Amino acid sequence: MNHDKDVINAAVMVKLEPDLSEGNVSYNPDGTLNRSQTKNILGPHSAIACKAAMYAKVCYDAWVSVCSMGPPTAEIALRDAMGLCCADELHLYSDRIFAGADTLATAETIKHGIRKMGRSIDIVFSGHRAVDGETGQTGPQTAWKLGFNFIGNVIDYSIDLESRMVKARRKIDLPGLYTVIEDVESPLPALIALDPSYRDNYRRVSERLRYARLMKEASRRAKDYKSYLRVWSAKDLGVDVRYVGLAGSPTIVYKVEKIPKAKASRRAKVVDPSNVEALREVGNLIFNIAFGER
Amino acid sequence: MDRFDAVIVGGGSAGLAALMELSRLGIQAVLLESGKPIGSKSVSGGILYSKNYPNGRVYNVEDIYPDFLDEAPVERRITRYYLNALSGSKVYTIDLTEAHEYRTNFAYSVLMARLNKWFAERAEEEAAKLGGGIIEGVHVKDIVWIDDGSGSSSGSSSNSGSSSGSSNSIIVTDELEEFGAKAIIAADGVNSEIALISNARGKLEPEALYQGVKCIVRVPEDIIDERFDLDDGEGVAHLFAGDISRGHNGGGFLYTNRDTLSVGLVYHLDSLLKSPIEPYNMLNEFLTIPVITNYIVDEVAVPKELDRTLPKEEQLRIRFGLSRLLKEYEGLRYTYYSKHARLDAIRQGLYSSEEEIKARLEEVRGKLEKEYGVTFANNYVEVEYACKLVPDGKRAMMDKPYKNNILFIGDAAGKGIFLGTRIEGINIGIDDAARAARAVARAREMSNFSEDYMGRYYAQLVDESPYTEDIRRIDFEYMKIFVRACKSIPLEPFPLFLRLAFMLIQKTIVQELASSIARMMDQSTLLKIIESNDAYVKIPMEVAERVGREVKPIAEIRPLSIDERIGRLKIREDEVPHIRIKDPKSRFIKAMVHLCPTKCYIMEASEEVSKEGAGAKARLKAVVSNVILQHEGCIECGTCSRETEWRHTRGEKGIVYEYG
Ligand SMILES: Cc1cc2nc3c(=O)[nH]c(=O)nc-3n(C[C@H](O)[C@H](O)[C@H](O)COP(=O)(O)OP(=O)(O)OC[C@H]3O[C@@H](n4cnc5c(N)ncnc54)[C@H](O)[C@@H]3O)c2cc1C
Ligand code: SF4
Repeated sequence: MNHDKDVINAAVMVKLEPDLSEGNVSYNPDGTLNRSQTKNILGPHSAIACKAAMYAKVCYDAWVSVCSMGPPTAEIALRDAMGLCCADELHLYSDRIFAGADTLATAETIKHGIRKMGRSIDIVFSGHRAVDGETGQTGPQTAWKLGFNFIGNVIDYSIDLESRMVKARRKIDLPGLYTVIEDVESPLPALIALDPSYRDNYRRVSERLRYARLMKEASRRAKDYKSYLRVWSAKDLGVDVRYVGLAGSPTIVYKVEKIPKAKASRRAKVVDPSNVEALREVGNLIFNIAFGER
Repeated sequence: MDRFDAVIVGGGSAGLAALMELSRLGIQAVLLESGKPIGSKSVSGGILYSKNYPNGRVYNVEDIYPDFLDEAPVERRITRYYLNALSGSKVYTIDLTEAHEYRTNFAYSVLMARLNKWFAERAEEEAAKLGGGIIEGVHVKDIVWIDDGSGSSSGSSSNSGSSSGSSNSIIVTDELEEFGAKAIIAADGVNSEIALISNARGKLEPEALYQGVKCIVRVPEDIIDERFDLDDGEGVAHLFAGDISRGHNGGGFLYTNRDTLSVGLVYHLDSLLKSPIEPYNMLNEFLTIPVITNYIVDEVAVPKELDRTLPKEEQLRIRFGLSRLLKEYEGLRYTYYSKHARLDAIRQGLYSSEEEIKARLEEVRGKLEKEYGVTFANNYVEVEYACKLVPDGKRAMMDKPYKNNILFIGDAAGKGIFLGTRIEGINIGIDDAARAARAVARAREMSNFSEDYMGRYYAQLVDESPYTEDIRRIDFEYMKIFVRACKSIPLEPFPLFLRLAFMLIQKTIVQELASSIARMMDQSTLLKIIESNDAYVKIPMEVAERVGREVKPIAEIRPLSIDERIGRLKIREDEVPHIRIKDPKSRFIKAMVHLCPTKCYIMEASEEVSKEGAGAKARLKAVVSNVILQHEGCIECGTCSRETEWRHTRGEKGIVYEYG
């Protein structure tokens, strides 16, 4: 690929997700998520990917493009992403055909999107996984489809513009055993998936100043996000309909099983959400904890 | 390594003005502030003055921020100024408005934490044009000078600096990589670490410091207008002297803000050290003297004690409903009793008319009474407690406000005019800032940031400031106005000798004579008279007792306890202690048990004695033998700094004031 040395072109893949933070969730009577009533936002893991992209913008003056596959309302996620990484372009891949996509089919769509960004992308940032039942495979699968190196669980990274290598620090949790911190290096292009514990850390004055300036610009752009946004249909992207959406999704969700929990001393009572009295009791209990006798 | 022409340490009103002015002079400058957000560590009284002098210019706030008068979030324009002599419930009020207006363009009451945020917005915008800016949450902990060729010297660990001083400096912080600075402006306040790091001066003596303690009391805007007889946007300042101080040298103040009052006390630290007394207890005594109580009192809702025999669920329902309704009531009340808030609410379409707001307010009130048994009683609403040292310029001002490539401004340079009824610090720091910025600009032009060049040039500019003269010498013109104001005191009730003395003072010819005699006396003798216990305490008491009016309290209030106050403060705990006691047995440290405004110092019982079971006297001795420090509640006032290893908290940590 032809490259201006010193230039980094970055892409971020983000996802619109239900806001599972307190007070924003709505459930159906059968206990499943009521998607139509739950507010949707930029997913928290996607937000972390945006922060990592901002880091590239601050430190390497990267050109940043954010993309998302989803319904038209997913532009909200792109707007929020704009506010975090001051993107230069926003892309929404939205088509009925894409509906029902599993991770592999999503990766296929995003691959086409990234290839159509008009610049050869050096680095792609993705979140760890989505909060609404995803397996964390979109990232690796997109990397595989793009032919990029994949680095997961990244907690810190830097890019050497001269050698065009990315150095990354990964955190691998072996539950119950220990945590491994691993430093890896890979030539660009690469796709890195950020660990949820990733924190941007600007240690230089010039970086802090640039960050502050870009954040201001970011909120200005977020207000005007539509003028940065391009919506693509399947046709625009030139995807092969056999590989996207439901048709391109080999994953079969056979059954979602709850992982059995270890026995705890806590007791739980199931409350019927349609029973106002019962709900009030829950509210009261919470209230009691917050304001009750001390 | 990053390198900048100018680095400012400290984002109070002085540092921010320096950033603004440097940027306007075309110099790329970076300001580091340890608090986050900016302004969160600022405390003032405070009245911000704009002044004019016949013998030279001062740089005023509106010179630095051209849109200050139109846009800045100031509170009220102070148009009246009074001194109140107190004794018990008796008050004699002297109108000092003329003294307040002396050489004054305007004066506003301000809440420093809020105003500094506005200053920061303006300064940052200007600085960003040149690639500079503000970095919050960064604490500067050291400065290292690199002598060209001969290695480096850390400020904190050596007697650094040749006479000319090196300008090649590196700033060390807790949070960032090191970076270089050609010129440094130290605006890090009264407890300046930079002054100590650079050996520019030692710690300030207690004689050169005041301890200021204050609280913000909320009172609806229209009630303030009515109570103090104020027109829209106008404000009043009241100073107090007499028996409130329990014999300490100092006094009290009460300033009107838009919908709050700033109420506090300022005492000489040496006087407090002689007979230590808890600042919060003094504050509470002040709040409960009738004249203050009558100013701060407000009607507050008192919820009924909850009936514990009710079913749990019912108790919760009551609590929940009550807290929601109380919140609504409070919001409505502050809206209804403020013409601005009323109009805003109508403009926003929340209500169609004032009558509607009133009706709703009464409805909610009725509901509170009927459904929840809420009663309404008089008390007061305290929203923030604060404390900080204040440098007494007369004794604290640095002779040489520079060291190596550092220029000291504002409180860090020990500036301030605090003499009797004159209280000025903010404006002087701003004037310093403009001068320091000019010195840096000149230094850059000449590529010479040395002490001999930039430092001296700055000192020369500061010398030219009328404020400097004012700090060094008592202004007799001001004194004359002051004495003239005291003419209103009726003399009949006084004993003959006092009457004669007063009469003499009040005769203009004698005033002239007295001021020429005063002019001949040396400054320190004169200060001894002006700042004597007689002047602060005895004379005001005498006046109040003999000619004062009796003020009856219209209500009783219950001041907050110190624990309640600490509970309301926002303090981000720093796990790393930033203060270390040097000698836990020293007199000074023992005094801190009383003088620390947030009770960080506590006496520790000695185990030895209790084991031996010695007599009552011996045990008492042992109990007061050791002092320990719990730094978690520290609000960085600096009172204890003299005999401790004292630093501010690390960036972002520590106290976060909302009003300041
Ligand atoms: C109770 C009281 C009443 C007063 N009344 C009045 C009045 O009515 N009128 C008046 O004009 N003045 C008054 N003053 C004085 C006035 O408030 C001060 O003079 C003024 O606020 C000082 O401003 P400054 O910028 O010099 O210092 P500060 O406002 O103290 O600012 C210093 C800043 O530096 C930061 N800092 C410190 N060390 C470091 C470090 N190492 N690294 C990074 N940042 C650091 C601090 O966090 C702080 O924000 C009063 C003061 C008090 C306490
Ligand atoms: S411990 Fe903190 S709050 Fe207490 S006197 Fe010392 S500096 Fe002030």
